[in-house]
Amino acid sequence: MQEQIEKIKQHALQEIASAEDAKGLDEARVKYLGKKGELTLILRGMGGISPEERPVIGSLVNQVRDELETSIKERENYFENAELEKKLLTENLDVTMPSKKIDLGSVHPITQIINDVKEIFIGMGYEIADGPEVELATYNFDKLNTPPDHPARDIQDTFYITDDIVLRSQTSPVQARVMENQKPPIKVICPGAVYRSDSVDATHSPVFHQIEGLVIDRKISMADLKGTLEMFTKKCLGEKTQIRFRPHHFPFTEPSAEADVSCFVCGGKGCRVCKGEGWIELLGCGMVHPNVLRNCGIDPKEYSGFAFGFGVERIAMAKFGIDDMRLLYENDVRFLKQF
Amino acid sequence: MKASIEWLSEYADINVEPKQLGDILTMTGSKVETIDEQGKDIQNVVVGKILEIKPHEDSDHLVVTQINIGTEKLQIVTGANNIHEGDIVPVAKDGAKLPGGKEIKKGKLRGVDSCGMMCSVGELGLTVEEYPGQIENGIMILDASYEKDIGKDITEVLGLKGSVIDFEITPNRPDCLSIEGLGRETAVSLDVPFKNPRKNLAEMPVENKENIEGLSVEITAPDLCYRYVARVVKNVKVGPSPEWMVKRLKACGMRSINNIVDITNYVMLELGQPMHAFDINSIEGKHITVRRAGKDEKIITLDNQERQLDDTMLVIADSNKPVAIAGVMGGQNSEIESDTTTVVFESAVFYGGSIRKTAKKVGLRTEASARYEKGLSPENAMRAANRAVELVELLGAGEAVEGKIDVYPTKQKQVKIPLEVDRINALIGTNLSKQEMITTLEKLEIRVENDEVIPPYFREDVEQLADVAEEVLRFYGYDKLASSLVNAETTLGGKNKEQKIADKVSELLVNLGLSEICTYGFISEKDLEKCNLNKEDALYSQAVRIQNPLSEDYTIMKTISVPTMMQMLANNSNYKNEEVRLFDISRTYQNNKNQVENGELPLEQNILTIGMYSQKGDFYTLKGLVEDVINSAGVARYEIQKEQTNRMYHPGRCAILKVGNDVFATLGEVHPQLAKNYDMTQRIYLAEINLDKISKYARTTKKYTPIIKFPAVERDIAMVVDEAVEVGEIEKIIQKRAKKLLEEAKLFDVYRNEKLGGNKKSVAYSLKFRVPDRTLTDDEINSTMKDILAELEKALGAELRK
Repeated sequence: MQEQIEKIKQHALQEIASAEDAKGLDEARVKYLGKKGELTLILRGMGGISPEERPVIGSLVNQVRDELETSIKERENYFENAELEKKLLTENLDVTMPSKKIDLGSVHPITQIINDVKEIFIGMGYEIADGPEVELATYNFDKLNTPPDHPARDIQDTFYITDDIVLRSQTSPVQARVMENQKPPIKVICPGAVYRSDSVDATHSPVFHQIEGLVIDRKISMADLKGTLEMFTKKCLGEKTQIRFRPHHFPFTEPSAEADVSCFVCGGKGCRVCKGEGWIELLGCGMVHPNVLRNCGIDPKEYSGFAFGFGVERIAMAKFGIDDMRLLYENDVRFLKQF
Repeated sequence: MKASIEWLSEYADINVEPKQLGDILTMTGSKVETIDEQGKDIQNVVVGKILEIKPHEDSDHLVVTQINIGTEKLQIVTGANNIHEGDIVPVAKDGAKLPGGKEIKKGKLRGVDSCGMMCSVGELGLTVEEYPGQIENGIMILDASYEKDIGKDITEVLGLKGSVIDFEITPNRPDCLSIEGLGRETAVSLDVPFKNPRKNLAEMPVENKENIEGLSVEITAPDLCYRYVARVVKNVKVGPSPEWMVKRLKACGMRSINNIVDITNYVMLELGQPMHAFDINSIEGKHITVRRAGKDEKIITLDNQERQLDDTMLVIADSNKPVAIAGVMGGQNSEIESDTTTVVFESAVFYGGSIRKTAKKVGLRTEASARYEKGLSPENAMRAANRAVELVELLGAGEAVEGKIDVYPTKQKQVKIPLEVDRINALIGTNLSKQEMITTLEKLEIRVENDEVIPPYFREDVEQLADVAEEVLRFYGYDKLASSLVNAETTLGGKNKEQKIADKVSELLVNLGLSEICTYGFISEKDLEKCNLNKEDALYSQAVRIQNPLSEDYTIMKTISVPTMMQMLANNSNYKNEEVRLFDISRTYQNNKNQVENGELPLEQNILTIGMYSQKGDFYTLKGLVEDVINSAGVARYEIQKEQTNRMYHPGRCAILKVGNDVFATLGEVHPQLAKNYDMTQRIYLAEINLDKISKYARTTKKYTPIIKFPAVERDIAMVVDEAVEVGEIEKIIQKRAKKLLEEAKLFDVYRNEKLGGNKKSVAYSLKFRVPDRTLTDDEINSTMKDILAELEKALGAELRK
């Protein structure tokens, strides 16, 4: 009996191994393990075996069946893998063919700079303030220590709507509005469009963008201003950027400074953008003039603060290598899509 | 303000090169614009003596000269006919360079060797005004006294070398519009003594008089004239000025006229106080009145132009007529003539604002008005008058008349500022001692007495603590300023709701393939007309108008965003760009309540505008974009409705979006006529979305709705309706009748064919019913479907398709 079982096993293993496809394998399974399979029949015929031998034979048959099933499984896996291999070979793609995608749009270069600047200052705890573009002369000028006879109010420079209403010529009026409406501590930046009566050419536009910054609190010093601008310029223009303060005059700050940064195009070696100077005049800044604080209801004896402002177009043009300001306002998609 | 190193050296010993001086002064606040190194373009030109002049054999207008230039003898051929043997002349040697890039080379003239060139005044870049007695068309003949200089470089001999620095002077520092002021800054910046050569002027004992040589002065507009000083010189000999004076004037960019006029200019440059000189005989009644001009008065100014005056302008007048526009320019009627013998020097101080306006009105900005408009110190006026008289005597141009007329109704205020050392240190982030501050201030002639800062008369810009702090900081060094980070109460920072929504929407549109554009806030009425608007439209009449527009193209602020977007699409169409999808977030401005007339601001709204033309897109593409924008912003409930009256859009392809009755967006295909106005024939799609309203209706809080575990029941429904029926109406009925059982109604088919009839369409929906608390029964669904169908039939005449 044992010999017979061993024989069946050998035959079965041989047939499983030589099966050429799933069908052949299935035939072998039926032949040996099916309802009428050779091994199954042996179990069925157990009645004729002595009770002593029964457990021995039963156990042997089960052992052989397990072996055969494992062998069948292995053979099946082999067929599946072979099938998959074959399929994969037929599914070859040319990965250099064009993709199917939604074309992305683009953010205007001016907005990109404004967004970068916003992010840096928000990180330093600043809010974003906003104000009207058609502005009262009192906010654009008077409150900013620029009285009616001041040259900055000339009709050549400023667009007037009425004698009392202008198109804001700077983002600074937002400072005055913030100071009137908010109690210190104040930390804001105000990006936005400003208007000046300049004819359009490669470096001028009657509309351009400025970003204004204002900090008011107790014990704010000019060193804080310098530190803040150092941090900002490094983050915005590159870690190696140096900043240099020069004395200057603005009606709304005292002391005032103009700040140059080491040219972020050539790194200070001298190039076309910095006119060989290695420095780019970037922004105006200073300590908020005590008259301005008083005009906006803040006591200069208790509080001090700093303010700074700069043009966005300048940075965008230098940073992206744009040589004509008009490109920024023509909005040719071939230009826009480059950003 | 231009200043020569030579003149500045009178005030401070300059021990550095011009470039370095420029850098140092820039860092203390006198920013250098340019440094002009004069005489640099004259090379190899020396003093020579003509030994012999002989005719040229082959020419009747040329002569052959032999010239001694010290080291050698040169033969030079020339056509000049003003030379004589023995004359001392400038000689350009072989290889010499002259102003304008001219180079002199050895050569032959009609066969005779010529080894250089004798120079004219003009060829050396000089003028006959500077060198009286010289002629323009001839060789410059030097004085015999130059014989000792034969062979020496002409630039050294004539002092043509020297650097002139042009400074940008900030408007708060009119004192630096003078050599004296810049000299003081130079001395303090270089930390060398300020030599103060004009110290004597303030202390001159000159008696006040009511009347000098019959002249009297009166100010009837003391609000515009703070001080008027007159001094008189007699026995005047009008003539040329000496070379040193002409040179200094020239270095500062001024031309020499005659000794008297030059003195007024020289004093202005030296001390910063504009001066004027009158011929006393031209002053009728010998009485000067400083008054407002009459409404119809006129004056012919020194530049021979007739100027219309008005009663806002200040004039210097005699008994009859204006003789000068105060602070701007003198009149021709009182000009110094060659036969003038008695001269009145005016040194006056006027209100700067008035001078500025007057100069603007008459269109004449002069060196004088540019100084006056910044506000000058009345104290300086007296010094200037004394200096003018001193110079007349120095030049031997006349004799001083004793005494002065000094009308000084508004005395200059003396400011005293407490020296609060701690506050100054706190403001500029320094740790300077009181003594260090006082040392700096005193160098600037700002006195400190009893802990009070007392600025000198010429520093009216120093008014309060912050100004003192700036003075301390300027000479402590802006470059030494410490840097620290704001060490104050923590602020949160960040964007507000409106800003977040705008940023979110903007990012979404970029991801959906749109490019952001940047546009001007102003347009013109013509642009509105191109957009089918006219005077009767509110969007036309509510425009905010610019009083002084840059050009006809930018006369009003835009009341709508359509014209600018159309223009940008047109630009791209013009460039033959295909597939253009743009968006713009900008403002509109509406004087919607006539508020501007009442001194109030117009309504400014933030508008998102989408504009596109595309082969791939249509109305529904646009609608999808708009819906994405609105959904991402967080507006959940709104209605969409057809709009047929907006003349900017195609009447059959325009929709408005609203919450209640508040329309917050318009979208559609642009009216073909409007597109044609912009030379575009393709279909243009446009949406205007009011971001302020979106922000108002947006809900930023989100809440989770549990996912329903019970199965959904789906039913399809197809119906035939009139073409005019909008699917929106069908959906409304389905929703109304299905009540809370309906989860989703999805339109899956619309078709038209002949069998249905020309005016009919078939519309098919897939409805999904589901409720959170149970499985719906067939009975419930059937009865709901019945309700829906009944209502569709009744309200819309829908016919169920089976």
